[in-house]
Amino acid sequence: MQQITLTINGKSVTAEVDERTLLLEFIRDVAGYTGTHNGCMEARCGCCAVEVDGEIVKSCNVLALQVAGRSVTTVEGLSPQRLRPLEHITTQSLAGVYKPLDALGADAKDLHPLQSAFHRKHALQCGFCTPGMLMVLKDYLEDNPEPTREDVRRAISGNLCRCTGYQHIVDAAMDAAQQMRVAAAGADSTADAADA
Amino acid sequence: MKAFTFLAPEALDEAVALLDRHGRDARPIAGGQSLLLAMKDRIARPSVLVSLAGLADLRGWRYSPSGELEIGAATTYAALISAQFGGWHGEISAVAADLADRPVRTMGTIGGALCQADPRFDMPALAVGLGASVDTASAGGARTIPAAELFAASGGTVLGPGEILTTVRFPTLGAFSGVAFEKFRQRVFDAAVVSAVCGLRLDADARVADARIVLGAVAQAPVIAQRTGRQMTGRTLTEHDIAELGAAAMEEVLPVSQAMSSFHRYQRELVGVLVRRAITRALDQARS
Repeated sequence: MQQITLTINGKSVTAEVDERTLLLEFIRDVAGYTGTHNGCMEARCGCCAVEVDGEIVKSCNVLALQVAGRSVTTVEGLSPQRLRPLEHITTQSLAGVYKPLDALGADAKDLHPLQSAFHRKHALQCGFCTPGMLMVLKDYLEDNPEPTREDVRRAISGNLCRCTGYQHIVDAAMDAAQQMRVAAAGADSTADAADA
Repeated sequence: MKAFTFLAPEALDEAVALLDRHGRDARPIAGGQSLLLAMKDRIARPSVLVSLAGLADLRGWRYSPSGELEIGAATTYAALISAQFGGWHGEISAVAADLADRPVRTMGTIGGALCQADPRFDMPALAVGLGASVDTASAGGARTIPAAELFAASGGTVLGPGEILTTVRFPTLGAFSGVAFEKFRQRVFDAAVVSAVCGLRLDADARVADARIVLGAVAQAPVIAQRTGRQMTGRTLTEHDIAELGAAAMEEVLPVSQAMSSFHRYQRELVGVLVRRAITRALDQARS
Protein backbone atom coordinates (compact mmCIF):
# COMPACT_ATOMS: atom_id res chain seq x y z
CA MET A 1 0.00 0.00 0.00
CA GLN A 2 1.16 3.49 -0.77
CA GLN A 3 -0.35 6.87 0.00
CA ILE A 4 -0.93 9.18 -2.95
CA THR A 5 -2.62 12.48 -3.61
CA LEU A 6 -4.26 13.45 -6.88
CA THR A 7 -6.15 16.62 -7.73
CA ILE A 8 -9.37 15.57 -9.43
CA ASN A 9 -11.52 18.30 -10.98
CA GLY A 10 -9.79 20.82 -8.73
CA LYS A 11 -10.34 18.83 -5.54
CA SER A 12 -7.43 17.21 -3.76
CA VAL A 13 -7.97 13.51 -3.02
CA THR A 14 -5.55 11.61 -0.78
CA ALA A 15 -5.81 7.88 -0.16
CA GLU A 16 -3.74 4.87 0.72
CA VAL A 17 -4.07 2.51 -2.23
CA ASP A 18 -2.67 -0.79 -3.49
CA GLU A 19 0.17 -0.28 -5.98
CA ARG A 20 -1.94 -2.04 -8.62
CA THR A 21 -4.67 0.61 -8.49
CA LEU A 22 -5.28 1.99 -11.95
CA LEU A 23 -6.00 5.67 -12.43
CA LEU A 24 -9.49 4.60 -13.57
CA GLU A 25 -10.09 2.76 -10.30
CA PHE A 26 -8.78 5.69 -8.27
CA ILE A 27 -11.13 8.09 -10.05
CA ARG A 28 -14.22 5.86 -9.76
CA ASP A 29 -13.78 3.92 -6.54
CA VAL A 30 -11.65 6.23 -4.40
CA ALA A 31 -12.72 9.69 -5.58
CA GLY A 32 -16.26 8.65 -6.58
CA TYR A 33 -16.36 10.28 -10.03
CA THR A 34 -18.29 7.59 -11.86
CA GLY A 35 -18.60 9.56 -15.10
CA THR A 36 -15.34 7.98 -16.23
CA HIS A 37 -16.43 4.61 -17.57
CA ASN A 38 -14.77 1.23 -17.40
CA GLY A 39 -15.26 -0.25 -20.85
CA CYS A 40 -12.60 -2.72 -21.90
CA MET A 41 -9.70 -2.33 -19.44
CA GLU A 42 -7.26 -2.83 -22.31
CA ALA A 43 -6.85 0.68 -23.74
CA ARG A 44 -9.05 -0.09 -26.74
CA CYS A 45 -12.45 1.51 -26.24
CA GLY A 46 -11.54 4.94 -24.86
CA CYS A 47 -14.53 5.15 -22.45
CA CYS A 48 -12.10 5.86 -19.60
CA ALA A 49 -10.29 8.81 -21.23
CA VAL A 50 -9.42 11.66 -18.85
CA GLU A 51 -7.00 14.56 -18.93
CA VAL A 52 -3.88 14.53 -16.76
CA ASP A 53 -2.34 18.01 -16.58
CA GLY A 54 -4.23 18.84 -19.77
CA GLU A 55 -3.01 15.78 -21.70
CA ILE A 56 -5.47 13.06 -22.65
CA VAL A 57 -4.81 9.51 -21.39
CA LYS A 58 -6.72 6.24 -21.15
CA SER A 59 -7.05 5.90 -17.39
CA CYS A 60 -7.47 2.10 -17.52
CA ASN A 61 -3.89 1.77 -18.74
CA VAL A 62 -2.15 4.11 -16.32
CA LEU A 63 -1.30 3.33 -12.70
CA ALA A 64 -2.53 5.87 -10.19
CA LEU A 65 1.07 5.90 -8.91
CA GLN A 66 2.35 6.98 -12.32
CA VAL A 67 0.41 10.24 -12.07
CA ALA A 68 0.73 10.83 -8.30
CA GLY A 69 0.62 14.52 -7.44
CA ARG A 70 -0.80 15.54 -10.80
CA SER A 71 -4.08 17.15 -11.77
CA VAL A 72 -6.84 15.11 -13.41
CA THR A 73 -9.92 16.39 -15.24
CA THR A 74 -12.79 13.98 -15.77
CA VAL A 75 -16.02 14.52 -17.69
CA GLU A 76 -17.54 15.93 -14.50
CA GLY A 77 -14.99 18.73 -14.75
CA LEU A 78 -16.33 19.96 -18.10
CA SER A 79 -19.23 21.92 -16.60
CA PRO A 80 -19.13 21.43 -12.84
CA GLN A 81 -21.48 24.24 -11.89
CA ARG A 82 -24.58 22.49 -13.17
CA LEU A 83 -24.35 19.25 -11.22
CA ARG A 84 -26.85 18.43 -8.51
CA PRO A 85 -25.61 15.91 -5.96
CA LEU A 86 -25.25 12.54 -7.61
CA GLU A 87 -27.94 10.70 -5.62
CA HIS A 88 -30.68 12.88 -7.14
CA ILE A 89 -30.00 11.54 -10.63
CA THR A 90 -31.02 7.97 -11.29
CA THR A 91 -32.01 6.07 -14.38
CA GLN A 92 -35.59 6.15 -13.08
CA SER A 93 -35.65 9.88 -12.52
CA LEU A 94 -34.32 10.43 -16.06
CA ALA A 95 -36.60 7.89 -17.75
CA GLY A 96 -39.89 9.69 -17.25
CA VAL A 97 -38.60 13.14 -18.06
CA TYR A 98 -39.19 14.59 -21.49
CA LYS A 99 -36.29 17.03 -21.22
CA PRO A 100 -33.29 15.29 -19.71
CA LEU A 101 -31.44 18.56 -19.18
CA ASP A 102 -34.24 19.68 -16.83
CA ALA A 103 -33.79 16.51 -14.81
CA LEU A 104 -30.14 17.43 -14.37
CA GLY A 105 -31.10 20.92 -13.26
CA ALA A 106 -29.05 22.15 -16.17
CA ASP A 107 -29.38 24.70 -18.88
CA ALA A 108 -27.96 24.18 -22.35
CA LYS A 109 -25.86 27.32 -21.90
CA ASP A 110 -24.21 25.88 -18.78
CA LEU A 111 -22.85 22.97 -20.75
CA HIS A 112 -19.43 22.76 -22.34
CA PRO A 113 -19.82 23.52 -26.09
CA LEU A 114 -19.11 19.86 -26.81
CA GLN A 115 -21.75 18.65 -24.40
CA SER A 116 -24.42 20.95 -25.81
CA ALA A 117 -23.41 19.98 -29.37
CA PHE A 118 -23.72 16.29 -28.44
CA HIS A 119 -27.21 17.08 -27.08
CA ARG A 120 -28.24 19.14 -30.10
CA LYS A 121 -26.86 16.75 -32.73
CA HIS A 122 -28.07 13.56 -31.07
CA ALA A 123 -24.51 12.26 -30.75
CA LEU A 124 -25.29 9.65 -28.13
CA GLN A 125 -27.75 6.85 -27.67
CA CYS A 126 -26.78 4.63 -24.73
CA GLY A 127 -24.19 7.18 -23.61
CA PHE A 128 -21.58 4.73 -22.39
CA CYS A 129 -18.81 5.97 -24.69
CA THR A 130 -19.81 9.63 -24.31
CA PRO A 131 -17.50 10.64 -21.41
CA GLY A 132 -14.49 9.34 -23.32
CA MET A 133 -15.62 10.91 -26.59
CA LEU A 134 -16.11 14.28 -24.87
CA MET A 135 -12.72 14.24 -23.18
CA VAL A 136 -10.78 13.16 -26.28
CA LEU A 137 -12.60 15.68 -28.47
CA LYS A 138 -12.08 18.47 -25.92
CA ASP A 139 -8.35 17.75 -25.86
CA TYR A 140 -8.23 17.50 -29.65
CA LEU A 141 -10.32 20.59 -30.47
CA GLU A 142 -8.35 22.76 -28.06
CA ASP A 143 -5.19 21.89 -30.02
CA ASN A 144 -6.86 21.82 -33.46
CA PRO A 145 -9.63 24.43 -33.64
CA GLU A 146 -10.26 23.97 -37.39
CA PRO A 147 -10.47 20.24 -38.08
CA THR A 148 -11.94 18.51 -41.11
CA ARG A 149 -14.41 15.65 -40.64
CA GLU A 150 -11.59 13.24 -41.51
CA ASP A 151 -9.38 14.79 -38.78
CA VAL A 152 -12.15 14.33 -36.21
CA ARG A 153 -12.58 10.69 -37.22
CA ARG A 154 -8.85 10.12 -36.72
CA ALA A 155 -8.90 11.93 -33.37
CA ILE A 156 -11.57 9.55 -32.03
CA SER A 157 -10.06 6.45 -33.63
CA GLY A 158 -9.26 5.19 -30.12
CA ASN A 159 -12.87 5.55 -28.96
CA LEU A 160 -15.46 2.91 -29.80
CA CYS A 161 -19.16 3.69 -30.08
CA ARG A 162 -21.52 0.79 -30.76
CA CYS A 163 -24.70 2.86 -31.15
CA THR A 164 -24.37 5.92 -33.31
CA GLY A 165 -22.23 4.82 -36.22
CA TYR A 166 -20.09 7.89 -35.38
CA GLN A 167 -21.87 10.09 -37.93
CA HIS A 168 -23.65 12.24 -35.36
CA ILE A 169 -20.58 12.35 -33.13
CA VAL A 170 -18.58 13.85 -36.00
CA ASP A 171 -21.47 16.26 -36.67
CA ALA A 172 -21.42 17.33 -33.02
CA ALA A 173 -17.64 17.73 -32.99
CA MET A 174 -17.74 19.96 -36.08
CA ASP A 175 -20.53 22.00 -34.53
CA ALA A 176 -18.69 22.28 -31.20
CA ALA A 177 -15.48 23.26 -32.99
CA GLN A 178 -17.29 26.21 -34.51
CA GLN A 179 -18.82 27.22 -31.15
CA MET A 180 -15.42 26.98 -29.51
CA ARG A 181 -13.86 29.13 -32.27
CA VAL A 182 -16.55 31.78 -31.75
CA ALA A 183 -16.00 31.66 -27.97
CA ALA A 184 -12.21 31.90 -28.41
CA ALA A 185 -12.59 34.84 -30.82
CA GLY A 186 -14.92 36.52 -28.28
CA ALA A 187 -12.40 35.98 -25.49
CA ASP A 188 -9.64 37.40 -27.70
CA SER A 189 -11.60 40.55 -28.55
CA THR A 190 -12.48 41.16 -24.88
CA ALA A 191 -8.81 40.74 -24.04
CA ASP A 192 -7.93 43.18 -26.82
CA ALA A 193 -10.52 45.64 -25.51
CA ALA A 194 -9.08 45.29 -22.01
CA ASP A 195 -5.59 45.96 -23.43
CA ALA A 196 -6.86 49.07 -25.22
CA MET B 1 -2.24 -8.12 -12.05
CA LYS B 2 0.28 -9.62 -9.60
CA ALA B 3 1.30 -7.46 -6.63
CA PHE B 4 4.45 -5.40 -7.06
CA THR B 5 6.47 -2.67 -5.40
CA PHE B 6 6.57 0.66 -7.24
CA LEU B 7 9.83 2.59 -7.07
CA ALA B 8 10.30 6.07 -8.50
CA PRO B 9 13.99 6.98 -8.64
CA GLU B 10 15.00 10.51 -9.60
CA ALA B 11 18.36 9.83 -11.22
CA LEU B 12 19.64 7.32 -13.76
CA ASP B 13 22.34 5.78 -11.52
CA GLU B 14 19.71 5.30 -8.82
CA ALA B 15 17.42 3.50 -11.32
CA VAL B 16 20.32 1.32 -12.51
CA ALA B 17 21.19 0.40 -8.91
CA LEU B 18 17.56 -0.48 -8.10
CA LEU B 19 17.23 -2.70 -11.16
CA ASP B 20 20.54 -4.36 -10.34
CA ARG B 21 19.50 -5.00 -6.74
CA HIS B 22 16.16 -6.57 -7.66
CA GLY B 23 17.48 -8.61 -10.55
CA ARG B 24 15.18 -10.43 -12.95
CA ASP B 25 12.00 -9.70 -10.96
CA ALA B 26 12.32 -5.96 -11.64
CA ARG B 27 11.15 -4.22 -14.79
CA PRO B 28 11.60 -0.59 -15.82
CA ILE B 29 8.33 1.19 -16.70
CA ALA B 30 8.23 4.28 -18.92
CA GLY B 31 4.71 5.00 -20.22
CA GLY B 32 3.55 1.48 -19.46
CA GLN B 33 1.24 1.28 -22.46
CA SER B 34 2.48 -2.21 -23.41
CA LEU B 35 3.75 -3.38 -20.01
CA LEU B 36 0.49 -2.70 -18.13
CA LEU B 37 -1.52 -4.61 -20.73
CA ALA B 38 0.85 -7.56 -20.31
CA MET B 39 0.67 -7.29 -16.51
CA LYS B 40 -3.15 -7.26 -16.52
CA ASP B 41 -3.05 -10.53 -18.50
CA ARG B 42 -0.29 -11.80 -16.18
CA ILE B 43 1.94 -12.34 -19.18
CA ALA B 44 4.41 -10.08 -17.36
CA ARG B 45 4.55 -10.47 -13.59
CA PRO B 46 7.32 -8.26 -12.22
CA SER B 47 7.54 -7.95 -8.44
CA VAL B 48 9.25 -4.56 -8.69
CA LEU B 49 8.51 -1.73 -11.12
CA VAL B 50 11.16 0.96 -11.50
CA SER B 51 9.56 4.06 -12.99
CA LEU B 52 11.66 6.03 -15.47
CA ALA B 53 9.23 8.97 -15.42
CA GLY B 54 11.29 10.93 -12.89
CA LEU B 55 14.51 10.81 -14.93
CA ALA B 56 14.69 14.16 -16.70
CA ASP B 57 17.73 13.01 -18.76
CA LEU B 58 15.58 10.42 -20.49
CA ARG B 59 13.11 12.95 -21.89
CA GLY B 60 13.41 15.46 -24.69
CA TRP B 61 15.78 15.65 -27.62
CA ARG B 62 18.83 17.55 -28.83
CA TYR B 63 21.38 17.58 -31.63
CA SER B 64 24.82 16.30 -30.69
CA PRO B 65 27.87 18.40 -31.74
CA SER B 66 28.34 16.04 -34.70
CA GLY B 67 24.73 16.62 -35.83
CA GLU B 68 23.17 13.36 -34.66
CA LEU B 69 19.61 13.60 -33.34
CA GLU B 70 19.59 12.28 -29.76
CA ILE B 71 16.13 11.45 -28.43
CA GLY B 72 15.69 10.50 -24.77
CA ALA B 73 14.24 7.00 -24.57
CA ALA B 74 11.34 8.05 -22.32
CA THR B 75 10.23 10.81 -24.72
CA THR B 76 6.54 10.33 -25.46
CA TYR B 77 5.07 10.13 -28.94
CA ALA B 78 3.12 13.30 -28.14
CA ALA B 79 6.41 15.13 -27.50
CA LEU B 80 7.90 13.75 -30.73
CA ILE B 81 4.88 15.00 -32.68
CA SER B 82 5.25 18.54 -31.36
CA ALA B 83 9.04 18.57 -31.84
CA GLN B 84 9.98 20.63 -34.87
CA PHE B 85 12.60 18.32 -36.38
CA GLY B 86 14.27 19.63 -39.53
CA GLY B 87 14.81 17.77 -42.81
CA TRP B 88 14.20 14.04 -42.96
CA HIS B 89 14.11 13.84 -39.15
CA GLY B 90 10.55 15.17 -39.61
CA GLU B 91 9.55 11.66 -40.69
CA ILE B 92 10.07 10.54 -37.06
CA SER B 93 7.34 12.98 -35.96
CA ALA B 94 5.10 11.90 -38.84
CA VAL B 95 5.40 8.24 -37.82
CA ALA B 96 4.74 9.09 -34.15
CA ALA B 97 1.63 11.03 -35.20
CA ASP B 98 0.15 8.08 -37.08
CA LEU B 99 0.34 5.20 -34.62
CA ALA B 100 -2.01 3.89 -31.92
CA ASP B 101 -4.41 6.68 -30.90
CA ARG B 102 -4.26 10.10 -29.30
CA PRO B 103 -4.51 9.09 -25.60
CA VAL B 104 -1.99 6.26 -26.02
CA ARG B 105 0.48 8.65 -27.70
CA THR B 106 0.39 10.85 -24.57
CA MET B 107 1.88 8.03 -22.49
CA GLY B 108 3.70 5.77 -24.98
CA THR B 109 7.43 6.34 -25.45
CA ILE B 110 9.89 5.71 -28.27
CA GLY B 111 12.19 3.69 -26.01
CA GLY B 112 9.29 1.69 -24.63
CA ALA B 113 8.29 0.64 -28.14
CA LEU B 114 11.89 -0.39 -28.95
CA CYS B 115 12.22 -2.42 -25.73
CA GLN B 116 8.84 -4.05 -26.27
CA ALA B 117 10.19 -4.98 -29.72
CA ASP B 118 6.79 -6.00 -31.07
CA PRO B 119 7.56 -6.61 -34.75
CA ARG B 120 4.29 -4.91 -35.75
CA PHE B 121 5.22 -1.68 -33.96
CA ASP B 122 6.44 1.19 -36.12
CA MET B 123 9.43 2.40 -34.11
CA PRO B 124 11.59 -0.77 -34.36
CA ALA B 125 11.30 -0.81 -38.17
CA LEU B 126 11.88 2.95 -38.35
CA ALA B 127 14.95 2.83 -36.11
CA VAL B 128 16.52 -0.01 -38.11
CA GLY B 129 15.50 1.54 -41.42
CA LEU B 130 17.06 4.90 -40.62
CA GLY B 131 20.25 3.39 -39.20
CA ALA B 132 19.61 4.56 -35.63
CA SER B 133 21.52 3.29 -32.62
CA VAL B 134 20.66 3.18 -28.92
CA ASP B 135 22.59 3.94 -25.75
CA THR B 136 21.99 1.78 -22.70
CA ALA B 137 23.03 1.92 -19.06
CA SER B 138 23.35 -0.95 -16.62
CA ALA B 139 25.35 -1.94 -13.56
CA GLY B 140 27.87 -3.48 -15.99
CA GLY B 141 28.42 -0.12 -17.70
CA ALA B 142 27.11 1.82 -20.68
CA ARG B 143 27.11 0.65 -24.29
CA THR B 144 25.86 1.74 -27.69
CA ILE B 145 24.07 -0.79 -29.90
CA PRO B 146 23.08 -0.27 -33.55
CA ALA B 147 19.29 -0.67 -33.85
CA ALA B 148 19.85 -3.42 -36.41
CA GLU B 149 21.57 -5.47 -33.68
CA LEU B 150 19.16 -4.53 -30.88
CA PHE B 151 16.45 -6.94 -31.99
CA ALA B 152 16.99 -10.67 -31.61
CA ALA B 153 16.03 -12.71 -34.68
CA SER B 154 13.82 -14.90 -32.49
CA GLY B 155 11.99 -11.86 -31.05
CA GLY B 156 12.67 -9.47 -28.19
CA THR B 157 15.84 -7.47 -27.68
CA VAL B 158 19.43 -8.33 -26.79
CA LEU B 159 19.24 -6.10 -23.68
CA GLY B 160 20.23 -7.83 -20.46
CA PRO B 161 18.10 -7.76 -17.29
CA GLY B 162 18.52 -4.44 -15.55
CA GLU B 163 19.78 -2.72 -18.70
CA ILE B 164 18.01 0.61 -19.33
CA LEU B 165 17.68 2.08 -22.80
CA THR B 166 18.58 5.75 -22.32
CA THR B 167 18.94 7.40 -25.73
CA VAL B 168 17.89 6.71 -29.30
CA ARG B 169 20.25 8.39 -31.76
CA PHE B 170 19.40 8.98 -35.39
CA PRO B 171 22.15 9.78 -37.93
CA THR B 172 22.89 13.31 -39.13
CA LEU B 173 20.72 15.07 -41.71
CA GLY B 174 23.45 14.40 -44.28
CA ALA B 175 23.03 10.62 -43.96
CA PHE B 176 19.95 10.57 -46.20
CA SER B 177 18.52 12.86 -48.86
CA GLY B 178 15.08 11.29 -48.55
CA VAL B 179 13.34 8.86 -46.20
CA ALA B 180 9.84 7.42 -46.11
CA PHE B 181 7.90 5.12 -43.79
CA GLU B 182 4.85 3.33 -45.18
CA LYS B 183 2.55 0.87 -43.46
CA PHE B 184 -0.71 -0.93 -43.90
CA ARG B 185 -3.12 -1.72 -41.07
CA GLN B 186 -6.74 -2.83 -41.00
CA ARG B 187 -8.01 -0.03 -38.77
CA VAL B 188 -6.36 3.28 -37.99
CA PHE B 189 -5.39 2.34 -34.42
CA ASP B 190 -4.16 -1.18 -35.26
CA ALA B 191 -0.52 -2.23 -35.38
CA ALA B 192 0.90 -2.67 -38.88
CA VAL B 193 0.26 -5.79 -40.98
CA VAL B 194 3.43 -4.82 -42.86
CA SER B 195 5.56 -1.68 -42.66
CA ALA B 196 8.33 -0.57 -45.01
CA VAL B 197 11.08 2.01 -44.60
CA CYS B 198 13.24 3.46 -47.35
CA GLY B 199 16.18 5.74 -46.65
CA LEU B 200 18.33 6.85 -49.57
CA ARG B 201 21.05 9.33 -50.46
CA LEU B 202 21.46 10.75 -53.96
CA ASP B 203 24.80 11.83 -55.47
CA ALA B 204 25.37 15.05 -57.43
CA ASP B 205 24.03 13.42 -60.62
CA ALA B 206 20.77 12.36 -58.89
CA ARG B 207 21.87 8.73 -58.90
CA VAL B 208 21.28 6.65 -55.77
CA ALA B 209 24.55 6.64 -53.81
CA ASP B 210 23.30 4.59 -50.92
CA ALA B 211 19.94 3.00 -50.01
CA ARG B 212 18.35 1.04 -47.20
CA ILE B 213 15.10 -0.90 -47.36
CA VAL B 214 13.70 -2.36 -44.15
CA LEU B 215 10.47 -4.30 -43.61
CA GLY B 216 8.58 -4.58 -40.33
CA ALA B 217 6.05 -7.18 -39.12
CA VAL B 218 7.17 -9.85 -41.63
CA ALA B 219 9.39 -11.61 -39.06
CA GLN B 220 10.09 -11.48 -35.32
CA ALA B 221 12.54 -8.60 -35.89
CA PRO B 222 12.75 -5.89 -38.59
CA VAL B 223 14.24 -7.34 -41.80
CA ILE B 224 16.85 -5.47 -43.85
CA ALA B 225 16.34 -6.15 -47.58
CA GLN B 226 20.03 -5.88 -48.37
CA ARG B 227 19.88 -7.25 -51.90
CA THR B 228 17.10 -4.84 -52.89
CA GLY B 229 19.02 -1.95 -51.33
CA ARG B 230 22.16 -2.84 -53.29
CA GLN B 231 20.17 -3.08 -56.54
CA MET B 232 19.21 0.56 -56.13
CA THR B 233 22.70 2.00 -55.84
CA GLY B 234 24.34 3.75 -58.78
CA ARG B 235 21.07 4.11 -60.72
CA THR B 236 18.70 6.91 -61.65
CA LEU B 237 15.44 5.23 -60.75
CA THR B 238 12.41 5.36 -63.04
CA GLU B 239 8.87 4.33 -62.23
CA HIS B 240 9.53 1.01 -63.99
CA ASP B 241 12.65 0.41 -61.86
CA ILE B 242 10.68 1.09 -58.68
CA ALA B 243 8.06 -1.50 -59.65
CA GLU B 244 10.87 -4.03 -60.21
CA LEU B 245 12.42 -3.16 -56.86
CA GLY B 246 9.08 -3.79 -55.13
CA ALA B 247 8.95 -7.23 -56.74
CA ALA B 248 12.58 -7.85 -55.80
CA ALA B 249 11.84 -7.00 -52.14
CA MET B 250 8.91 -9.44 -52.20
CA GLU B 251 11.19 -12.24 -53.41
CA GLU B 252 13.91 -11.35 -50.94
CA VAL B 253 11.81 -10.93 -47.79
CA LEU B 254 8.90 -13.33 -48.30
CA PRO B 255 9.67 -15.70 -51.21
CA VAL B 256 6.78 -17.82 -52.45
CA SER B 257 8.29 -20.88 -50.75
CA GLN B 258 7.98 -19.15 -47.35
CA ALA B 259 4.60 -17.50 -47.89
CA MET B 260 2.62 -20.62 -47.05
CA SER B 261 -0.50 -19.24 -45.34
CA SER B 262 -3.01 -16.86 -46.89
CA PHE B 263 -1.93 -14.26 -44.31
CA HIS B 264 1.70 -14.52 -45.43
CA ARG B 265 0.70 -14.34 -49.09
CA TYR B 266 -1.23 -11.19 -48.21
CA GLN B 267 1.85 -9.80 -46.43
CA ARG B 268 3.95 -10.71 -49.47
CA GLU B 269 1.75 -8.60 -51.73
CA LEU B 270 1.90 -5.75 -49.22
CA VAL B 271 5.71 -5.88 -49.18
CA GLY B 272 5.73 -5.17 -52.92
CA VAL B 273 3.23 -2.34 -52.68
CA LEU B 274 4.69 -0.65 -49.59
CA VAL B 275 8.31 -0.84 -50.79
CA ARG B 276 7.22 0.82 -54.05
CA ARG B 277 5.40 3.56 -52.15
CA ALA B 278 8.31 4.09 -49.75
CA ILE B 279 10.91 4.35 -52.53
CA THR B 280 8.68 6.70 -54.54
CA ARG B 281 8.10 9.04 -51.62
CA ALA B 282 11.75 8.97 -50.47
CA LEU B 283 12.86 9.79 -54.03
CA ASP B 284 10.36 12.65 -54.30
CA GLN B 285 11.69 14.08 -51.05
CA ALA B 286 15.31 13.65 -52.17
CA ARG B 287 14.71 15.30 -55.55
CA SER B 288 12.71 18.27 -54.25
